[in-house]
Amino acid sequence: MLTLFLMLPIAGALTLLLLPEDQRIKPRVIALVYSGLAFAVSVLVFALFDPAREGYQFVQRFTWIDASSAGFTVQYALGVDGLSAPLVLLTGLLSLAAVLVSWNIELRPRAYFAMLLLLEASVAGVFTSLDLIQFFFFWELELLPMYLLISIWGSGRKEYSAMKFLLYTIGGSALMAVGFLLIGLSAGTFDIAVLARTPDAELILPGALVFWMIMAAFLVKLPVFPVHTWLPDAHTDAPTAVSVMLAGVLLKMGGYGIMRIPVSLLPEQAHTFATLLATIAGFSVVYGAIITLQQRDLKRLIAYSSVSHMGYVLLGVAALTPVSMSGAALQMFTHGTITGLLFIMVGLVYDRAHTRQIADFGGLMHHVPFIGVFMLVAGMASLGLPTLSGFVAELTVFLGSWDAHPIATAFAVFGVVLAAGYILWMMQRVFFGPPSTRWASMPDATAWWERTAVLGMAASIVVVGVYPAVVTRVIEAGIEPIAAIVGAA
Amino acid sequence: MPEAAVWAIYFLPVTAFLVNAGLMRKNPRGAATVTILAIGGAWVLALWAMTVTMSNHGEAVGFEPHTWLEFGELTVEFGVRLDGLSSMMLVVVTSVSLLVQIYSTGYMHGDTGYARYYTYMALFTSAMLGLVLASSILQLFIHWELVGLASYLLIGFWFDRPSAAAAAKKAFIVTRFGDFGFMLAVIAIWANTEGQFDIAHINELAEHGDIAASALTGITLGMFMGAMGKSAQFPLHIWLPDAMEGPTPVSALIHAATMVVAGVYLLARMFPTFHSAPEGVSTFIAYTGAFTAIFAASMGLVMTDVKRVLAYSTVSQLGYMVMALGLGGYVAATFHLFTHAFFKALLFLGSGSVNHATNTFDMRLMGGLRKSMPITFWTFLIGSISLAGVWPLSGFWSKDEILLDAWHEDKFLWVIGTMVAFMTAFYMFRAVFLTFFGEYKGGAEPEHGTAHAPAHHGPHESPPSMAYPLIILAVPSILIGWLTVGGFGEFVQGALPEAMRHHPEPESIVVVASLAAALGGIGLASAMYYGGTPSPASLLALFRPIHGVIANKYYMDVIAEDGLVRTVLHRGVGRGLQLFDTWVVDGAVNGVAFASRMAGEGLRRTIFGQPQAYTSAFLMGTITIVGAILVLGGSALEALQSLRP
Repeated sequence: MLTLFLMLPIAGALTLLLLPEDQRIKPRVIALVYSGLAFAVSVLVFALFDPAREGYQFVQRFTWIDASSAGFTVQYALGVDGLSAPLVLLTGLLSLAAVLVSWNIELRPRAYFAMLLLLEASVAGVFTSLDLIQFFFFWELELLPMYLLISIWGSGRKEYSAMKFLLYTIGGSALMAVGFLLIGLSAGTFDIAVLARTPDAELILPGALVFWMIMAAFLVKLPVFPVHTWLPDAHTDAPTAVSVMLAGVLLKMGGYGIMRIPVSLLPEQAHTFATLLATIAGFSVVYGAIITLQQRDLKRLIAYSSVSHMGYVLLGVAALTPVSMSGAALQMFTHGTITGLLFIMVGLVYDRAHTRQIADFGGLMHHVPFIGVFMLVAGMASLGLPTLSGFVAELTVFLGSWDAHPIATAFAVFGVVLAAGYILWMMQRVFFGPPSTRWASMPDATAWWERTAVLGMAASIVVVGVYPAVVTRVIEAGIEPIAAIVGAA
Repeated sequence: MPEAAVWAIYFLPVTAFLVNAGLMRKNPRGAATVTILAIGGAWVLALWAMTVTMSNHGEAVGFEPHTWLEFGELTVEFGVRLDGLSSMMLVVVTSVSLLVQIYSTGYMHGDTGYARYYTYMALFTSAMLGLVLASSILQLFIHWELVGLASYLLIGFWFDRPSAAAAAKKAFIVTRFGDFGFMLAVIAIWANTEGQFDIAHINELAEHGDIAASALTGITLGMFMGAMGKSAQFPLHIWLPDAMEGPTPVSALIHAATMVVAGVYLLARMFPTFHSAPEGVSTFIAYTGAFTAIFAASMGLVMTDVKRVLAYSTVSQLGYMVMALGLGGYVAATFHLFTHAFFKALLFLGSGSVNHATNTFDMRLMGGLRKSMPITFWTFLIGSISLAGVWPLSGFWSKDEILLDAWHEDKFLWVIGTMVAFMTAFYMFRAVFLTFFGEYKGGAEPEHGTAHAPAHHGPHESPPSMAYPLIILAVPSILIGWLTVGGFGEFVQGALPEAMRHHPEPESIVVVASLAAALGGIGLASAMYYGGTPSPASLLALFRPIHGVIANKYYMDVIAEDGLVRTVLHRGVGRGLQLFDTWVVDGAVNGVAFASRMAGEGLRRTIFGQPQAYTSAFLMGTITIVGAILVLGGSALEALQSLRP
């Protein structure tokens, strides 16, 4: 099942690349079919996941490279638990939405959709890998399509931003690779499930160093202060669909990675550095929010708000309690849908206006009410309004983190006030006010592909907000073993 | 009463909201009908609930809560709490809401956003009822935020006006600032009660001393911060006058009768917790309330916009209620909440009726409306007398109870309270005389896009849909004060533990002083604005500097918005951090990149010149690393292992 989830987008990408140029079926239809099927598989994985069962599910493994003479093997090993299952669903959902919002791409659509599908496959690989080497492979694989998507289909300083993204990520992952090798070679296995069951292996280097080597890659990806500045640049210059994928799922690779690898494999180190991490998190929330308030470009605004919101994830992880980590896992899922929707809405505006400068707008609610209403819905979710999904996640993080880190938590809660500031101020400047003569003829979002993407994402935000149990029962099952490991350390 | 019927009070307007949002967007009449029917149904059920709790002497009718969320160690349960306090509020909310919805059919007639208006109104009413019924503090907080949303949408209802859009944003953010404290309090409650959200349990734990005093101080101050935002207590009151940008029926319902008293309701709901907190907390609450009461009343004296007078009056009266709660006057505060809801809604709807006829809220453009709008005049007069606190109208009784508590607890606050009574009577009758007496000064031209009557026919009485709600609201404004004799106190105190119920001894000097203050205020207003001596102009000349400060709202908006938010926060801290982010955080990275580019001259072309080539080189590199591990794995491991100590 998971292999299917992984292979469908790859097959789609290959189909797109190998088919001859002059075909009657449009590339976007092929992409839609494959990403639609992948989404269906992700829904099945999520729906069939049994929270009552222990351990990984849908596991598929076979030995890839047998070096047992040397004391280790590298496997092809896939599986999901309660932590990764929601992220698999998120990947399927957002990839489909990304294809939909790219419907009118005209520049080399075959290559574009192939890269989008390859991106989906690589992220799916990260979330389902149970082997460190394989995890690293997919982690690096994600760079290729991202780099090309930004530098070819982007706008503005796209080469600069793409290169910045690339260098940052490689910088992090180089350290991560060394960390993985040290862990794997010391323990004689790269199997994440096995590693998590064994106590911290004797490492030839200090555990703290290895912990930070791995953390570096994930903190860059998340991102948090002070390694966040690649994100606004990448977002600003990326096409809409890539922003949706970047904010919606790629950042979650960071949060997921932290919980899966450094926290689960080196829990003693996690305890040692918990306060430092929580401090970074609390600071990042407020810092990110204050910088968000300064932004004049819609996409940069949403990008910086992600820096702020990812601080909640790190705070939840750093508190190391079952409740806080559950909140962090939920926050990853909810932020994925909320920010994904925000970027879709900004993309719809940009498609029509060819500008994202907030100062250029005003009174759009009169002309494009559908876009305006759903921007408001996404914005309200982003500022943590109850009955929309962000609230439950943030509240859970705060509740779980309060005892361990009250000051960092208070900072994080204050981020919610600032979030109201940047969202509502943006709404006021862009959508409210008297009707605009400049944008009077702006068409509202009426195409089926626009409405499907928007309504689908909005529905997921409302459903999780009103009845969070649809996701939490799964997440709960995933956090329990991690909390047990952390608690025992 | 079956539990489902109690829930229906909440779910009827929820359903109306969903139906309107989904199906009635193009059907204004349908939307109005759905909302009115749903709230009418909720009103009937609320009356039923009231009779049930009355037969229970106001004590809680037991309903088990339901699990909403189980997330590891986190359990969230939602339920309905029906007792004297909540059933009183249910009746207030549904009665005022129903009348406001009926009134709005006339007031909003022809507005392009008519269907949207009734959709938001249903949303507001359901959220407010959810807040009142909540059995858990988290459930209360959730609906607390949702009434904030509805308030935001309705203040900014005419979002084409920049002032309305700004006021909506301001209201949301200022109250959210208070909610920062409330949310921390909710978190601290959960952390200090082994995961408890249930209001009754929290109150019991606090009462029995099972929450440490320091934690209790933090919790109560946090909740009070939330209440200060919602109930517009100084210095977080600044959003409420601006909120008058919303349609007037919205001001009547949300910003006078119901949502703004949510803070007072919270303090009353958590009364045993506040009561058990260290004394300083109560003192702080009482003085914040008293200061707000007199501070806001002073601004009410000089406003020329009738709605602003009423807005500052609301802030001032909310200060009264908060002061009463700080003094332990649970009955006095809730009773004043109860009476105030009716006469203040009446006054706001009256000002809306005047606006409907004259197209303005500026009292300098009104005058003489007594003859052309008799129903509006008489009902407005009744509301004013009631608010001024003249026997035997309802405002007298509830204000008297507050002053009585102040007399017993803190004589200084009693003096303040009596002064506020004088000021209240003065500004209300100033409004009455300016609006309804003298010569009509012509009103204003209808604003483009609004559907109000053209001015050239001269002012005329509003249609029956607007007039009847005024008449109906006048009845409780006159009568319900007598409920104090009929056991209102016992009824709402049913929600409290026995030990906290109390009945202050009547004191004749309090009654005499408050009546004297009220009549004195009315007398001075009539002398000045009816008799003409001392003339308002001569007094103005005398007090010009002070008048300027007060009329500019003590420059609070300037200090808060221009000074604190725009200059310090936005231009100072924000711009500073932005520069730091660009030049230091990002600059360091770009600097490193630049330096390595300079250093690696040979590498330069590869990295920055040919991305594709670089990418493939990079992929090759990755593959090589992985390959090397695989091929050389054994020897690499041995080499590494030999390094082990």
